[in-house]
Amino acid sequence: MPDFMKASLTRISWMTRLTFLEAIRQRFFAFLILLSAALVLSSVSLRFLDFGHGELKFVCDFGFGGMFLFGSVLAVVMSAQLFFAEMDNRTALTLLAKPVSRTEFLVGKFIGVWLVLGVFIFTLSTLLGIILWARCQELTVAAVEVGKAPPEFSITGLFSYTGMQWARLGVVAAMILMVASLARTFLFTVIVGSMLVVAGQLQWLAQETLLKPGDLNFFSKLLLSVSTYIIPNLQQFNIGDALTLDHGSVADGAVTLALFSGGCYIVVFLFIGSLIFRQREI
Amino acid sequence: MNTGPAIAVKGLTKDFRIGMRGLKLRAVDNVSLEIPRGQVFGLLGPNGCGKSTTLKIILGLVSPTAGEVSILGFPFATTSARSRTGFLPEAPYFHKFLTGRELVAYCARLSGVKPESVNQAVEDALALTAMTEAGDRTIGTYSKGMLQRIGLAQAIVHDPELVILDEPTAGVDPVGSAAIGQMIKAMKAKGKTIVLCSHLLGQVEQVCDRIAIMDRGKLVLEGRVDDVLTRRDQTIISVENLTPEARRAAEEVLAQHGARVTSFTHPRRSLDDLFRELVTGSRDA
Repeated sequence: MPDFMKASLTRISWMTRLTFLEAIRQRFFAFLILLSAALVLSSVSLRFLDFGHGELKFVCDFGFGGMFLFGSVLAVVMSAQLFFAEMDNRTALTLLAKPVSRTEFLVGKFIGVWLVLGVFIFTLSTLLGIILWARCQELTVAAVEVGKAPPEFSITGLFSYTGMQWARLGVVAAMILMVASLARTFLFTVIVGSMLVVAGQLQWLAQETLLKPGDLNFFSKLLLSVSTYIIPNLQQFNIGDALTLDHGSVADGAVTLALFSGGCYIVVFLFIGSLIFRQREI
Repeated sequence: MNTGPAIAVKGLTKDFRIGMRGLKLRAVDNVSLEIPRGQVFGLLGPNGCGKSTTLKIILGLVSPTAGEVSILGFPFATTSARSRTGFLPEAPYFHKFLTGRELVAYCARLSGVKPESVNQAVEDALALTAMTEAGDRTIGTYSKGMLQRIGLAQAIVHDPELVILDEPTAGVDPVGSAAIGQMIKAMKAKGKTIVLCSHLLGQVEQVCDRIAIMDRGKLVLEGRVDDVLTRRDQTIISVENLTPEARRAAEEVLAQHGARVTSFTHPRRSLDDLFRELVTGSRDA
């Protein structure tokens, strides 16, 4: 590896370490992880509200919902907060006066935030996995006693889903950092970022509408076509039920395609973000 | 080896756009100056005169509207230029959860110090800034003076050729200010070029070789401290035990040679000197 690349990776790794250490200490992170863990644990005692669905599916939905909602909130708020903390406290002045490029700064911030999101999502996923596994054992014994088929639960599927959620949160974090590099305030970044996340979750509607020919005029088609490329389809990462409880229903290559698309969006968002951030006056 | 000036600035101009209508505010107006290597250079001026903006442009933190800047022969804002430069910002703020030693080590790694040399570089920087003992305390527990000194340590840990200090004595007591003055002299003795922005004019006068004064974005004076401060048309004679008769006789003799005595005063020491003589035991190390 060339020396300049090695030096650049070293700087990014040190930026990442600092960001991770700063993020993991935040009370907001501790609060959200405790709240989400409480939600996942409470799913066992609330399983009588399963509305006729299987018990494991209810627990799964409850846990995935917590990971999805609080993970999104954490990704939006923490990415924006860590970026603006450097700007407002003027620590960025000290860091960027060193041989650290704006791209290295932004990439280091992204990886640091993404690692914290990984800690969040894998902790909750492990907790959910333990609950699901324990209930699955009990339900299997009960099913065998009455001669029914035992419930299906895939721990590999659960962690595949966790990996996909981590990728989704990475896309959200990269998107927020891109907005932050342009924005002047934390609040603006959080509001615009949240709107983009909601748009990403609903992007599949634009894709479906485009598949119906004849219903749209030229400008609507153009708007929807552009939006399907600019805004990532975050809904494609939400196939937790299928991966965990019914692995056979997942289309071949769906996971790979979602991860590849997520990776592409992360690279593009960080690239655009660093181009904008280079012009920013510190 | 490049022997040109440490910093060369030519026709530097910076306009900021303000408000919705994009009105231009000229913060730096056609400034040109050269800072020789191995000297301590004082950049002075009232608040809002464009000093900090000039420094930020030199460091690549703000882009100029017009003009050219080079650092140690390299174009400004490049990695080559910044790896040879150390910077202490005004009122420095660092991540409070780090210890002083961790911060300096972290900055050493960001500045390209090799892993095997980091520990020695950190200890040297802490020793020069008298922060060795406090190095294991978290930065959140530091006083203002200690923050300035750890800021100085992080600026010099990679042994830069050029050190830029923006208000290094802001909020620091006179004893601490004098200590920072001594550190600047020690760095100069090592051959470093130091650019100092400060409102402590007495200290600037003591430590700087050259000064430049800015006002409303323009450079209004630049030169060697001795040249710009010495009044060649007047002379001060210090005399012990001067009696009224001797004074009258001296005035008559001087008048015979065409000289006119303008004042007879007793020399005074500065309040700064008196304070430092009296207060020695309250250092916050």
